[in-house]
Amino acid sequence: MEIPYNVELREDTGLYNSKLGIWLFLASEVMLFGGLFSAYILLRTGAPVWPPIGEHGSITHLLTETIPHATFNTVILILSSVTMVMAWMSLRMKDLGKFKLYLGTTIVCAIIFLVVKYFEYSHKIHEGFVPSHDTYMALYFTLTGLHGVHILGGIVVLAYFFGPGLKMWDVEPQRFTNRIEIVGLYWHFVDLVWIFLFPTLYLLN
Amino acid sequence: MSGKDFTEHILHYRNIFIYLLIGTALTVGASYMDFNVSNSIAGAVFVGLTIATVKGYLVAANFMHLNSEKKLIHWILLLTVFFLGLLLLIPLLWDINLISNY
Repeated sequence: MEIPYNVELREDTGLYNSKLGIWLFLASEVMLFGGLFSAYILLRTGAPVWPPIGEHGSITHLLTETIPHATFNTVILILSSVTMVMAWMSLRMKDLGKFKLYLGTTIVCAIIFLVVKYFEYSHKIHEGFVPSHDTYMALYFTLTGLHGVHILGGIVVLAYFFGPGLKMWDVEPQRFTNRIEIVGLYWHFVDLVWIFLFPTLYLLN
Repeated sequence: MSGKDFTEHILHYRNIFIYLLIGTALTVGASYMDFNVSNSIAGAVFVGLTIATVKGYLVAANFMHLNSEKKLIHWILLLTVFFLGLLLLIPLLWDINLISNY
């Protein structure tokens, strides 16, 4: 049985179904990250010193060292958002070559982000700043870890559309274009979350 | 979509990219400046999060096309922002001791 309203718009919503679906999903994601930001505010306003001083002292000096890495990652993620939207635009222009170029660049940017994150995590853990060190570290690993899982999930979906999922373009080009728009909305949301995580966790301490 | 429209879109996205880079530079630069009032970090938090909000708006309005999206999506997001506001307000209320007795 064919799934209805994959391409054509519903009269009542003016949208195709998966677009409404992804926005509802993103709304739930806002609440997920919102809950963690709420915990951050509660713990931060209740702490006499921020970041708290634990067994290995304060993380402040390490945070200052990692600001260039986090700034680099911010630029990489913004760039990936631009290439993502350009990939969708290329499909609308029916230019599959450019689509592959832009989508491939998006995937590479996402992998670079995770590699930088890996080195950042390793450095902190090596210095003894593990999640159990203090409430800042617990929040840091929870928020950036959850964000990292979203990046990883995004890579899997993007790689699918770069590889086996691309077959749909030959038979249902409009449906494939809509799919890319949907995954693009998810990807921009991941970028949006990082835009708030970056100053909150790295700069405002 | 014509080739001319496509070129216009590319230029538009390139401009947004440049604005976002400027915003990122401002965020980092502002973190080295002293906006604090009487030993409170509130000033720096306000400046940092204001820049982040502007950047977030640029992403949502342009890359996620919210500036030309259907009303239904806007209503869903308004409802979400309302509940997000409540969620963020709860710890602040706690902090100013309004609900600490419960």
